[in-house]
Amino acid sequence: MEILKKYPKLFQWLFLLLVFFGLCFAIDVPETYKFIRGQAEFVKDPNQSTYVFLGKEVRYYAFDVFWRLPPLLGWLPIWINDSLFFLMNEWMPLEFWNEDTQEFKTRPLLLEVSRKLTFFMTFLIELIREILIGGINTIVTFTGWDWISDNPWAELPGLPWTIVTAGAVLLSYHLSGKGLALFAGLTMVYISIFGQWKPSMQTLSFILVAAPLSFIFGLGLGIAAFRNKRVEKALYPILLVMQTMPQYAVLVPAMVLFGVGDHAAVIITMVVAIPPMILLTILGLRAVPPEVIEAGKMSGCNNWQLMFKVLIPTARRDILIGVNQVIMVCFSMAVISAFIAAKGLGYNLLLALNRLDIGLALEAGLCISLIAILLDKMSLAWANKQEDYFGNLTFIQRNKNILFFVGTVIVGILLAYIGTYLFKGTHNYLFEVPHNKGISTADFWNRGVDWIFDTFFVYIKAFNTWLIQDVLQPMRALYLRMPAIATIVLVVGAGYLIGGIRSALIVCGLTLFIALSPWWDRALVTTYMATFGVIVSCTIGFIVGTLSFQNKHSASFMLGVCDIFQTFPSFVYLIPVMMLFGITDTSVLIAVIVYATIPATRYTIEGLRSVPAGLHDAATMSGVNKFQRLTKIEFPLAFPHMMLGINQTIVFALFMVIIGAFIGTEDLGQYILKALSDKNGAGIGLTLGVCVAFIALIFDNLIRSWVEKRKKHLGIA
Amino acid sequence: MSKENYLNKLKELPQDLRQFIGLILITLIIILSFTILNGLFGQGDDLVKRMKLEEERIAEEKKLSALISKLPSGILVTFDGTDHHKLTDEIYEQVCKATKLIPQRAIMGANFLNHRAHEIYTINGNKIDETFVKWDQEKGRCFAGFTVSGNNVGVDESITVSGEALSFLSTGIDTRVYFIKNF
Repeated sequence: MEILKKYPKLFQWLFLLLVFFGLCFAIDVPETYKFIRGQAEFVKDPNQSTYVFLGKEVRYYAFDVFWRLPPLLGWLPIWINDSLFFLMNEWMPLEFWNEDTQEFKTRPLLLEVSRKLTFFMTFLIELIREILIGGINTIVTFTGWDWISDNPWAELPGLPWTIVTAGAVLLSYHLSGKGLALFAGLTMVYISIFGQWKPSMQTLSFILVAAPLSFIFGLGLGIAAFRNKRVEKALYPILLVMQTMPQYAVLVPAMVLFGVGDHAAVIITMVVAIPPMILLTILGLRAVPPEVIEAGKMSGCNNWQLMFKVLIPTARRDILIGVNQVIMVCFSMAVISAFIAAKGLGYNLLLALNRLDIGLALEAGLCISLIAILLDKMSLAWANKQEDYFGNLTFIQRNKNILFFVGTVIVGILLAYIGTYLFKGTHNYLFEVPHNKGISTADFWNRGVDWIFDTFFVYIKAFNTWLIQDVLQPMRALYLRMPAIATIVLVVGAGYLIGGIRSALIVCGLTLFIALSPWWDRALVTTYMATFGVIVSCTIGFIVGTLSFQNKHSASFMLGVCDIFQTFPSFVYLIPVMMLFGITDTSVLIAVIVYATIPATRYTIEGLRSVPAGLHDAATMSGVNKFQRLTKIEFPLAFPHMMLGINQTIVFALFMVIIGAFIGTEDLGQYILKALSDKNGAGIGLTLGVCVAFIALIFDNLIRSWVEKRKKHLGIA
Repeated sequence: MSKENYLNKLKELPQDLRQFIGLILITLIIILSFTILNGLFGQGDDLVKRMKLEEERIAEEKKLSALISKLPSGILVTFDGTDHHKLTDEIYEQVCKATKLIPQRAIMGANFLNHRAHEIYTINGNKIDETFVKWDQEKGRCFAGFTVSGNNVGVDESITVSGEALSFLSTGIDTRVYFIKNF
């Protein structure tokens, strides 16, 4: 009894685990249960049970409910599909004037809106794309094909790569100085001479449309949420789900509404990029000191002036960090959108990966990563840059960058003109290096991959076999062996012990949604893969983070490395692992580990850094050695912060597991991928996305509740 | 009053003990909810039986399709005296059980000796209502047949033609009745 009184929490957890394992052992696997014939397989089988809800028939394999819950939410994807179909094809038919046929035509409102939006987005993308690489579509929009054939001079020529490069260098110099300018120059030259100019500019045009629009909408909604609690409350759950929902899943309904192509990709990128912008806008506006607001009010500002002359300029840094996040999300989506035929580097990367041409994929991936790092650094520099107001400068001093740029434009045009003579009868390399005419290292990399396989095949295969047979398969079997009731008792009990009844109810709701969907088994597989990744990532992250923390320079270096790795679009991580491990589950898991180690390392270092210096001194004075200080003081105090790292690690791992479906896993991601090529896939894709988001939110809720409690306990809340 | 007393007593309990009681209650509520749901949706033994039957059927089908894939392509006859592939009694039974299709050629051949069936078959636009291939355990013979009716053209008459399936056509993927002896 004394022990019970001394360690009450321990006994509560022991009781929970006892119940969990008791249920696991008490409930046998039904004789009829087979994973491959699980609930998610939409095949007709005379043994399936059926129920009808909202007029929709749902077929499923009925097991003992303690083992697997019936998919009572099986109607949801069907209902979403039907609703989308109804909205797009039948809802509110109105008469619209058709320019081509010169007559009114009846068309459903949403279809018309989607067409108009599609047209507008396509126009914007084409406009920017043609400014960068030339074309005639924009002119044709305003004139016509006949006119352009009569006036071929009107075709937009595009900008020579030298001018864009000079623009990037000057802008980088203006924002951050020589270092970034040099990096910008090298990146642009690399892109050009490696023949990736055109796809890079296609990707850039996509981002130049998606990012500003996301910024405008995000800022607008952020302001609305800041000013109105109701708006904030309405937005909050959507933001939470959107931040944890895999981007793949959002592609599917977008395809139904907007079709495939760049326009659909831009719209869906906005959907994904707006939530972080909203959150950072709210965060920035909330952080404005009340004195500043008071001063604004006392100066006689009306609401509008207070917002745009006081609050937003004061919250400028946070808002610009939001812009940085928007750009990063846009980049990540630029690659994923290749699945819905968005042109650019992502498309080339996807094609190369499909052909298993690792060399080409690496080249495209490197370009994407370099541009992502460049834009990340530029936007961060913009966020950190303080506006200087020097009224006494001359015109030339004030506008030297613009004047420089004008100069480089003239020089660029001249160079391009000279190029027409220099490269007569061939491609004008001073204007653009064509896609297939640049330097290519693809062969070198491909030979490297072959060499790796030839040399290390035995070892790689042995490692693969060991990992799959001795680690992954048993772990997967253990997860699938968990009866639904045991899992729910464990999750809800953990929620209750960590965050009280409210937390228990939230995680119960989230878990039930997944358990009642037709994809519980697949969700278990997703969780097993993510868990494996998280365990390994956290172990590596904690060790690397702790070791790096021992030295100031190594900690800064490691944070810099994390920064760079974090800017890589997630898809890029698949390239090196496919090079080494081929198309296996091992590849996915190693990509998950590499990707998810970044937040684990970062938060470990930041957590350890957040321990007050005073405590270090106090500890040293008390005579503790380095190890004791680390284990007795720094780790306990940094642990809440490190746990937030685990939270991020879980989200990163889940994202990567879903992307790993491209290689061929059998988790929820595989079904999302399948939904992309299914005309009725919108409902399935969206429901699956919500399931993945809910897995992340369950962990998020548990970890955040624990962190808050722990911080209060330690007095650092 | 007594309720209040109980509540007060509960509130007076240590926090950890209350949490422990709460945990037990939550566990019980979940188990109880699952028990109720199991009563509503669980199909236990009945499902096991049905699934087992289904699995047996699938296994049988797999066995038969393995047999069919081994058979030579072409016409398989069940008796001696022709140049075609002959079937042993055992394989004859297995092929009979595996065969589902009766092609038009076999139907027209059987109709040739049933004048009325032929007439109805001609006027109804060559439609067959149903076909069957059955193994007669007692006689050790395979019987195939079909039903023609004139319902779709206003003739209220339906005729079932059946006979012994004497030969089969093996396509390599499936087997079909090649000749029905209805005389």
